[in-house]
Amino acid sequence: MKKAGRLVSRIIIYIFLGTIAFFALFPVIYILLSSFKSNQEILVGGVKLLPEKWLLDNYKQAWNLANFGKLTFNSIFYAACIVIGSVITSITAGYVFARGTTRFTKVVNTMLLCSMFVSIGTLSLYPQLSLAKMFGLSGTLWGPIIIRVFGMNATQVFIATGYVRQISREIDEAAQIDGCGFFKIFWKIIFPLCKPLVATTGLMAFRTAWSDYLLPYVFTISKKDRWPLVVGVVSLKSSGEAVSSWNLMLAGISISILPMLIVYLFLNRYFIEGLTEGSVKG
Amino acid sequence: MKAEKSGRVKNRKSRLHMGNKIQEVLMITPMTIGFLLFSVYPIFWVLRWSFFNYNGYSVPEFVGLENFIRAITRDQAYWNSLKNTFIIAGLKMIIEIPLSLVLAVILNNKLKGSAVFRVIYFLPSVFSIAVVGLIFSILFSAYNGIVNAVLLQGGIISRNIAWFSDKKHAMFVIILVSLWTTFGLNMIYFLMGLQNISRSLYECASIDGAGKLQQFFYITVPLVAPILQLVLMLSVLGTMKMTDLILVLTNGAPGGSTEVVMTYIFKYFFSYGDNAARDVQFGYASAMAVITALILGVVTVIYLRISRKMQEIEE
Repeated sequence: MKKAGRLVSRIIIYIFLGTIAFFALFPVIYILLSSFKSNQEILVGGVKLLPEKWLLDNYKQAWNLANFGKLTFNSIFYAACIVIGSVITSITAGYVFARGTTRFTKVVNTMLLCSMFVSIGTLSLYPQLSLAKMFGLSGTLWGPIIIRVFGMNATQVFIATGYVRQISREIDEAAQIDGCGFFKIFWKIIFPLCKPLVATTGLMAFRTAWSDYLLPYVFTISKKDRWPLVVGVVSLKSSGEAVSSWNLMLAGISISILPMLIVYLFLNRYFIEGLTEGSVKG
Repeated sequence: MKAEKSGRVKNRKSRLHMGNKIQEVLMITPMTIGFLLFSVYPIFWVLRWSFFNYNGYSVPEFVGLENFIRAITRDQAYWNSLKNTFIIAGLKMIIEIPLSLVLAVILNNKLKGSAVFRVIYFLPSVFSIAVVGLIFSILFSAYNGIVNAVLLQGGIISRNIAWFSDKKHAMFVIILVSLWTTFGLNMIYFLMGLQNISRSLYECASIDGAGKLQQFFYITVPLVAPILQLVLMLSVLGTMKMTDLILVLTNGAPGGSTEVVMTYIFKYFFSYGDNAARDVQFGYASAMAVITALILGVVTVIYLRISRKMQEIEE
């Protein structure tokens, strides 16, 4: 009797979990499947999930006509620059905050902490853009890249600081006795020990860069061939021929979420670790 | 002789020390400059221009507190957008916090397949918010969206619902979508909190005859309270700063009634989408940004105060 009750509660729990999982997955699956439908089928709608006929036309059209090939390249370039750059800057900052002794370092660290509470979010985009105009960087992706790389992402920096703190200080001291300076200890000893950190901060940077919308949008507003993928895909919605470009939109969304999906499927452990550790320590 | 030698060693040591300090400062300088330029400078920029009448082309005109007075006393639309923001944040929280907590508690019980569920629930959090907005505007499309089709098929509605043409439905979709994007993340936070609770507590409780529900309310909830506070704060602050999702999903439609505070002000900085006709007004936008930042700050401080008080009471 008791066993039966347990089984029933088990089943109820699995039904609950399954329902939530269905809602979490459905939008993504629906979009991916619909991207293979013909435009006719998309516009009629209906409850059918699978395409009547699997077509690659949408992808071909999006890639060639809507210039998504170029935009994909832009996105890859943008993401690569930000991942490489911000991994270096955030690990360097993490090392300095964890091991530094000067008052300068402490002041900067405190300011960074405060910035988490005093912030105007997306409203700082205009001042940033006007700054970029002064340096002749508006209209390109270099402005957003520099902002993402040198703007100190508080979460990434806090993860890095926490990680470097865990490394035993004895290693530093031994190197110091051998005559290593502050920078050399970082370059020769600490940085090589930070491989897992490179994975987490790199993935976080990749996620930020690959999904970035407003920042690259305001910088490259009028330069269509410099847009990253997300900006191009979203622009289809507000363009006049929105109805006729549904198939392009679906293909574009699929192209933009697939890399993320694949990376996440293989490296989800690092994603989850990175995002949670950072916020809690911060 | 000996003294001289030790003096020289000391000298060398302090020079080395000095060198290390210089290296340290040099290493952090590029990021400090970036931080000052991209995070601190905008705040001062906004503070300064909030006292001017300025649209980028005109000669800036100093108007004192006029922009603030306009926002506070005459701009009903601003306060509406602020109200919407709080409504979205509040309703979202009421559903999201219990949902994430319950999921976390279930998955914490070494269930078969719990790792898979965890990965699935977290999946929505990794996508671009802008693209998510686009995905859901397709799902909820009035004529050929799958949601309407399913509801029609199931006999729940008799006519297609135009989800984005009245405020109630549009707000419902906004809350649903923002829930979709973050419930997994919050569940992970709760899971971390739960993993710190020792199993022996539950064993003791069940020996004393406490049921599963009692255990949940008397052990789990109090012990994840610190995490709960963190999640609440991150969730509220995150929702208050929501911009991309609204711009892509509704862009304020219908008629600016679903505008949130960030998008409302954003459109005074940049002309965006269908509202491109509206003039940009940097001075006025800056004043609203200052007011909003102050409100956010006050909310945060009040929240921290209250949660500290609650902790004291508990203790």
